[in-house]
Amino acid sequence: MAVAAAPAAGLPPPPARVVSRRRAIRLFKISLLSPLIVMFALVLMPALLLQLYFSFHQWTVYLGTWWDAEFVGLDLFQEVLTDPRFGWAIVRSLLFATGSTIGCFVFGFLLAYLMYEPFRGNAVYYIIFILPMLTVPVVVAYTAEMMLYQSGPINDILSRLSGTEFKPAWLSDPNIALATVGLLEIWNWTPFSFIIMLAGLSAIPKEPIEAAEILGASKWRIFWEVQLPLLRPVILLALVLRFLEAMAEFPKTWALFQGGPGSATETLPIYIFMTTWQYFQISKGAAMSYIVMLMMIVIVLLAIRLLRREKQSLDKMYEQPSKAEG
Amino acid sequence: MARIELVNLEKSFGAVKAVKDLTFTIEDGEFIVFVGPSGCGQTTTLRMIAGFEDPTSGEIRINGKVVNDLEPRDRGLGMVFQSHALFPHKNVAQNIEFGLRMKKVPAEERVRRVREVADMVRIGHLLDKMPSQCSGGESQRVALARTLVTNPSTFLLDEPLSSLDAKLRRELRAECDRLHQALKRTFIFVTHDQEEAMTLADRIVVMRNGEIVQVGSPMEIYSNPVNYFVADFFGSPSMNLVAGEIVQGTAGTRFRAPHFDIALPTRFGTAKPGAATLGIRPESVGVAIGAKGDIELPVRLVEPLGKDTLLYFDAGTERAFVAVTEGLSMAEIKVDERIPLTLDPLRIHLFESDGRRIDTGA
Amino acid sequence: MAMTKSRRRRITMIIRYAVLSVWALIAFFPIYWIVSTSFKIDTQWFAWPPFYFPNPPTFSNYMNVWFGAEEYTSTQYAISSQKPLISLWNSTVIATCSTFLAVLFGSIIAYGVSRYRVLSDLRMFQLLMLRMIPPIVIVAPLSLYYTAVGLIDTRTGLILVYFLTTLPYAVWMTKSFIDEVPREVEQAAEILGASRWRTVFEIVLPLIRSGLVATFLFILILTWSEYLLALIITKTNVATLPIELSKYQGSTEGRVYGRQAALAVGITIPLMIVGVIIRKHLARGFSFGMVRR
Repeated sequence: MAVAAAPAAGLPPPPARVVSRRRAIRLFKISLLSPLIVMFALVLMPALLLQLYFSFHQWTVYLGTWWDAEFVGLDLFQEVLTDPRFGWAIVRSLLFATGSTIGCFVFGFLLAYLMYEPFRGNAVYYIIFILPMLTVPVVVAYTAEMMLYQSGPINDILSRLSGTEFKPAWLSDPNIALATVGLLEIWNWTPFSFIIMLAGLSAIPKEPIEAAEILGASKWRIFWEVQLPLLRPVILLALVLRFLEAMAEFPKTWALFQGGPGSATETLPIYIFMTTWQYFQISKGAAMSYIVMLMMIVIVLLAIRLLRREKQSLDKMYEQPSKAEG
Repeated sequence: MARIELVNLEKSFGAVKAVKDLTFTIEDGEFIVFVGPSGCGQTTTLRMIAGFEDPTSGEIRINGKVVNDLEPRDRGLGMVFQSHALFPHKNVAQNIEFGLRMKKVPAEERVRRVREVADMVRIGHLLDKMPSQCSGGESQRVALARTLVTNPSTFLLDEPLSSLDAKLRRELRAECDRLHQALKRTFIFVTHDQEEAMTLADRIVVMRNGEIVQVGSPMEIYSNPVNYFVADFFGSPSMNLVAGEIVQGTAGTRFRAPHFDIALPTRFGTAKPGAATLGIRPESVGVAIGAKGDIELPVRLVEPLGKDTLLYFDAGTERAFVAVTEGLSMAEIKVDERIPLTLDPLRIHLFESDGRRIDTGA
Repeated sequence: MAMTKSRRRRITMIIRYAVLSVWALIAFFPIYWIVSTSFKIDTQWFAWPPFYFPNPPTFSNYMNVWFGAEEYTSTQYAISSQKPLISLWNSTVIATCSTFLAVLFGSIIAYGVSRYRVLSDLRMFQLLMLRMIPPIVIVAPLSLYYTAVGLIDTRTGLILVYFLTTLPYAVWMTKSFIDEVPREVEQAAEILGASRWRTVFEIVLPLIRSGLVATFLFILILTWSEYLLALIITKTNVATLPIELSKYQGSTEGRVYGRQAALAVGITIPLMIVGVIIRKHLARGFSFGMVRR
């Protein structure tokens, strides 16, 4: 029999270097994480430390070398916190983020609800619907400029549809400028909410819905009692991520308005940018950044708590009936 | 050579103790089967031997050397997984070759040995196929070949057959047996299928809730189960188990239950009176038509299997009381007929209410 | 007459198509507009009433912007200082390199998380902070730091920042693919003698290669269109395409919509192609474990 040809049994010759398994695993884990640690230490940490330095030292580009800057304690923070422009920037950012988040959610959800059951042509609609998200934000801004001038195509179409002269000054009226960016944000990112919620809706198992249908529940009741509760984590995710991204929105606002007209679109990112790069008040910018960063960290931590709780309850729901580990 | 010792081995997952204080020695060249219902610690034990799980406490020794802190690849073992775990992006030949490449065997020799092993498990014609093109049985043979080619001292097999259908299972069972005989290596086989255990093992280790319940040859386990659990787990059809009580009286020791009132053999003379369970395998129940039996029960179902006929009786218990008779002679029996039955006194087991077998001291 | 089921279904269907089609128009019209503007001659860029179709269509905007062909004699349109092809090269190098790094290291970290839990659940979410805190708050000190170490206005500098800011998405997305690789396959490799690194590179990563491609393209979308960091970290030597496009705004007085449009279309088309290719995976990039299949 062929088997007999196999060499004699026995442990293989003792390995040249027997590594302790425990140590090898520890080493392996560290090396898996090392790129993150290295990047953190080399790129992020120095910047964070510098920022901390600047927010306590008065320095602008024409005040000599930055490492000789004067220590001013909490003066900069006081300056920022008593600056009414900063307060308005916070208000505008919150308004902008809230409004556009709600807009994206409403439209995204409506579309997702109409799309989650397969029908003829849904692939085509899907592709068209995701295109705005795939448009570079700066391009969105310039496209808006090309369409929104007062006698431009948008006003032309709106006038024709309504039958009356409808010519808002989208780009120069301080009262609507922020809303204009908001609408652009909604146009740009509704696909994002749409994609997430479509995935969420499609992932809901069909059986409970069919069971509810057979029991005589109306579409409306099924929606409220079966689909919506199962969709909650996804909805939360869509809202949270969208809100955070909207808080950071910069390219469209900057490319279209640079904070104007007046200061109508001066949101937090814009105001920080102007302070730092147009007024060259590096230190004030740093203090402002620090405050905004702390504020955002609080918001993000709250968001993370929310998301984690949802994910854990999901994990529990989908847990494999404890593995058949003997 | 590989002699594997497990010493006070324990494994907990959080608060759950999967394996409890296990001490056991596997001799070189033995075919050991760990068996028990799914999730009773046998897979965890195997995975600790392989090195995929770290014991919470205790030692694993291979040839006297503690291997707890040794990488799986340095333990000289081979493993076949339930899901066969082939590399889906490599073809069959590359799958088999993998272990040799890791050991830096030269290319020419690799080709030769892959060929050799593939022929050994009869998959020579599959070498260029991808795993997705192989059937379940073929995949498991490839997995076997992949392990064989590295020539391990011990084969660990984790429920390798349970994803296959009955016919393939029998076929591959024979294959395992043949390989064990030919290679004379240690085989450690984990299963929840008592039939697999019975047919393959030199020694069976019965596990339950992370503990060893009984160790012995298939014959020992079958005919001398240490407790109710083992008695019930092995054998198909399974042992008849009737709950009742032992009574010590003027008529000697008797076992009483609804429909039952039988004299127990003298070896049970010292048994304590009280609740107990009587166990007897179906083949030890005799059908005594026209004679006087120990008990008399109404027939509920007759199942002619060809070689044997199974008779199911109503003993007022949850499970039917079963008797096996050879051939088809009993196939004509009518349902509801009351039939006298004899119980082979040498084959009667009694279990205490906590499940332990009542020892006769014999 | 009571509404029959089929009748009701037909009405639902009509409403559905109507709503979807309206939104499709809203979504598509701006894209149509910029494409059509890019083919318009200069008198039609900014006119009343607006020109809805380029008539006659012209390629001159593309020729002028991308290849510096001077068809218009008027100096108003001559923007020779801009170098879109160089920016295209910059964008390509920066986006592909940073994305490659993010996917490579992201998948390695994701493997560690999936198999060895090197990052806890909480840490995984905290990792997202790298992405969720607005980059504006860190960009000023970063640019000073970059000036000090000579990374300002270099491709390497931008690559490193992009790598860092897209890493969270890379980790989350590749992890969702790695979670689907059966552990037994890895253990089989391990017991056959493969080292841990070899298992990662020879077994795990090849097994999820389509997922890696999807992740790569997904992150490419993010890095390709990034604006703020590029605006500050790159100045004169290295400009990416979005920066190049924004230069048209400041440097000319008149409205050069046709040229901008030609450039914008060139920037956006690759993204749309990529996005459509990976459309099925987009949800995975965003869903952070909240959508189960």
